[in-house]
Amino acid sequence: MIEDIKEMPNNPMEHDKFIPDTFNILGKRGIRRIDGFRKASGTATYTRDVILPGMLYARWLTCPFANARIISMDTSRAEALPGVRAVLRYDDPEIHGRRIPTLHGGEEDILAGYAYFQGQQVGAVVAADTEDSANEALKLIRVEWEERPFVLDAREALEPGAPLTRPEWWPEGNLLPLFFQPSSFFRFGDVAQGFKEADKIIEFKARRRYHGCSDAEPLSGITRWEGECAELWLHHQHPYEHKWMMNMWFGMPMSKVKINSPYNGAMFGGWNWIDYGMVPQYVSALLAKRTGRPVKWIFDRRDDFTFGSLDAMESEFKVGVKKNGTISAVKIKSFFANLSFEAGLHFLENSRVPHVESETLVAQVNKGPVMAIRCEQLPPCFAFTHVCNHVAAELSMDPIEVALKNDGADGQDMTQLEEFKRTHGFPVRDSLRECIDAGKKAIGWDEKWHPPGTRKLPNGRMHGLGFMWDHEWDENRGAGAAGLMIQQDGAVSIIALRSDVGVNAESTYCSIVAEELGMRYEDVFLRQQDDVHLPLMTPDGSCNLTTNGYVMKKLAKRGKQKLFELATTTVHLIERDIPPAFPNMRPEDLDIKDSVIYAKEDPSIRKTVAEVVKDVTGSFVQKHEYGAIQNTTHEPVYVWAYHRQGRLGKEPGRQRLCRQAHFCEVEVDIETGEVEVTKVVNVNDVGKAMSPETVEGQQYGGTYMGVGRNRSEEYVWDPQTGVLLNGNLIDYKMNTMLDVGPIETIIVETGLGLGPYGSVGIGEDVGNDTTYLLHGAVYNAIGTWVDDGPITPEKVLKALGKAEE
Amino acid sequence: MSEAPIDRSRYQCPYCATTFDTFDELKSHVIAEHKTEPLRRPEGLITLTINGEAYEVLVEPNWTLYYLIHDKLGLTGAKMFCDRGACGSCTVIMEGRPILSCMTLAIECDGMHIETVEGIARAGHPLIELYVKHHCMQCGYCTPGFVVTAKALLDRNPSPTEEEVKKALAGNLCRCGTYPQHVKAVLEAAHEMASLSEVEEG
Repeated sequence: MIEDIKEMPNNPMEHDKFIPDTFNILGKRGIRRIDGFRKASGTATYTRDVILPGMLYARWLTCPFANARIISMDTSRAEALPGVRAVLRYDDPEIHGRRIPTLHGGEEDILAGYAYFQGQQVGAVVAADTEDSANEALKLIRVEWEERPFVLDAREALEPGAPLTRPEWWPEGNLLPLFFQPSSFFRFGDVAQGFKEADKIIEFKARRRYHGCSDAEPLSGITRWEGECAELWLHHQHPYEHKWMMNMWFGMPMSKVKINSPYNGAMFGGWNWIDYGMVPQYVSALLAKRTGRPVKWIFDRRDDFTFGSLDAMESEFKVGVKKNGTISAVKIKSFFANLSFEAGLHFLENSRVPHVESETLVAQVNKGPVMAIRCEQLPPCFAFTHVCNHVAAELSMDPIEVALKNDGADGQDMTQLEEFKRTHGFPVRDSLRECIDAGKKAIGWDEKWHPPGTRKLPNGRMHGLGFMWDHEWDENRGAGAAGLMIQQDGAVSIIALRSDVGVNAESTYCSIVAEELGMRYEDVFLRQQDDVHLPLMTPDGSCNLTTNGYVMKKLAKRGKQKLFELATTTVHLIERDIPPAFPNMRPEDLDIKDSVIYAKEDPSIRKTVAEVVKDVTGSFVQKHEYGAIQNTTHEPVYVWAYHRQGRLGKEPGRQRLCRQAHFCEVEVDIETGEVEVTKVVNVNDVGKAMSPETVEGQQYGGTYMGVGRNRSEEYVWDPQTGVLLNGNLIDYKMNTMLDVGPIETIIVETGLGLGPYGSVGIGEDVGNDTTYLLHGAVYNAIGTWVDDGPITPEKVLKALGKAEE
Repeated sequence: MSEAPIDRSRYQCPYCATTFDTFDELKSHVIAEHKTEPLRRPEGLITLTINGEAYEVLVEPNWTLYYLIHDKLGLTGAKMFCDRGACGSCTVIMEGRPILSCMTLAIECDGMHIETVEGIARAGHPLIELYVKHHCMQCGYCTPGFVVTAKALLDRNPSPTEEEVKKALAGNLCRCGTYPQHVKAVLEAAHEMASLSEVEEG
């Protein structure tokens, strides 16, 4: 058993070596969700719900202009308003000109006297007895602004003579240094050579408009001080890291910071990664210190529209392709607004395209910050899908054929991947082909596929069929730690702090422990909200289960060992010895199933875990409660485990082996330009589905998000004033129940993942991929491209020549 | 709610210091015992029934029903998501109709009967367990709003069609995209309740 633990793969290139032949819990349907009743009955608590005695509410002044500086500010009337307890000004001596360190090595203004987009938090924060009083006080603040010219478009911002979009931050110009990428050129192979080898050169442009998170629970957080100790309530993905932040901000030991991480109303990254996302928590801590009261900072729905997704981009493509559909070269030039992620990446990680060059230019524009919102892979999905779509169309090929012709990695075909599978302990299966076979059948591809713009339905609309493919995000990185304790009644507690991001994680972690430990599922519990100082991998952005799953496996193996040792060890009390539950046996003589320990040789010799772990003097039973509390007879069954799984997601030589494919059917009304999505089929090879319902949840859930983004989600600014016009959920259109036809979800399980039991994560990829799913389908319907997402009716009509540019 | 937020000292008789649970009791007492003019009912005092429990509360004219039940009464199942009547997460049932508590002034709810998700759960409505079974929640923030909307639908239409369920729930937003599961849970609840009532009638 100890050997098992030692050999558990730390090297993320290896296949999990410890996969049982049969499973009792994992992979089964109908495992009751741990958070289900609490969430359905309204008793699950979110940070937004937390109200502490004496709590103040902090609200920010926001800038009415797209680019402006405060000349002077009069807060006297706000300060005089009854119920206002503090007004923090940008020129406050304690914070004036100061920037604070934030997560991920950044730093940020605490409260600036200038703003770079309309709606930016700026100038003043009011803390008052009620939210209403704080809002009222904000209206009483008089500001003299210096309005400055602004730029909303990335290309315009990079033109010579463009106004400075962030004059204090970047006085030298609007071109930003790259954050995620080492250089503005991403290259492999030699594109010139690739174009020479091509039979055909294809050139086109595509664009994606700025969209956002629309997370369900508006942002908030609380700080309360008890003397030198601080307690935080966080609606944030990185709870443990806030201890570090408090250490850096206030010079306090991390041991004096307590974190509460209640349930999170839909996060998807975004805010958690923006440096500015740390500032409100700092401000609440500062104001709580000054006022001696707990301070809750609150963003309203409009404030939540402060940030967006990092695929606000426009790209020029040049693609070299051979007659048989093999892509020989891809050249991309992309203009991003405010932040970028490498658009060419999936050609390297997911195709045999040998020559790629991708240039990235990022301009600061006068819009809010952008970040990974389910997730940073949006730009590569955008580029990969548009290129595959256009290649198929130009060659009049079935896009599925193009996919199979180009699947691979590192510019090499499937031979390399098959060799990797063989040498690293994976089954040699063709994931993409399995996904495609399942999906084609489900959507009826062979019967329905037709040349573009050729199938008019009886209802007068044009029918379109769409397809896209990608690898699964086998990010598989990071580290987690957790404890496990078997309580005296036999209940198993997983002890770890994490944030509730992802779906049904608590149940899945408990399932792994129950499966591996031999406990009944209902005997294992995790309350991830509690600060127990052991940080599980909480979404670093992309991976949880694949890392934490290994932590759970290790915990269960260690817990089992410890339990069997207790069951076979005599307890030496001062006055007497108490024989073990299983006398004259060694730990290796025992096994456990359904929370009952039994002798392997004679399973009729059995005791429940509760009987084994209880206080062995039985003092509770003898009504000697004092003795039980003061004098437990043996050390608790407590173990802990740590697991590190890779470093950055994909070290050199490590391959992503699982694939996904998505199919859709649309009907386009050529009179109104409306695109109706009548069917979607998601096929995901997740390697091993530990909780099938959860996997499906990420599939249809991601599709609702992605299709909404592809069809209607977009922030709209007034070009004259730079004011965001639709910062609310009436005018910013996310999908409702009626907006997507039936979604069929298919799970493929090849075991080709690098995570435990051969799994990969699935939280981000469907939402990401389906953000670009409809472009091919709309082209197939109307025979002309709408390469500008979202695909609004207006753009469809323009593409059809029925509306003016 | 066992601990209704009634400040008993508020209804103290100014003449003899006897205290009363409700304003109306105090009023009767003053008229009967002290033979004086009836006291004026405090402005903003409303009575309402929430999940079968009587509440008497003094509200400010700008308080929404959401603020009253969530922030003041601690019934936090109603959630603030859109803040503007766009998402249905704050839905409660008032006089049998699902309403948006963020768009309703508390002061206008005097005399109303209100049902929240907490009451629906406490009554053991089959929707709750079926929501768990069908994984109708992911982050769970919008889930109570769906439960309340669905309960109101089943109250007025015990055997809805799939289309009717979708139409009834179309005003509830879910960012996680749990939509398909709600339809399954609501239809199954309707079926379960129909079988139950058949048994009861039989």
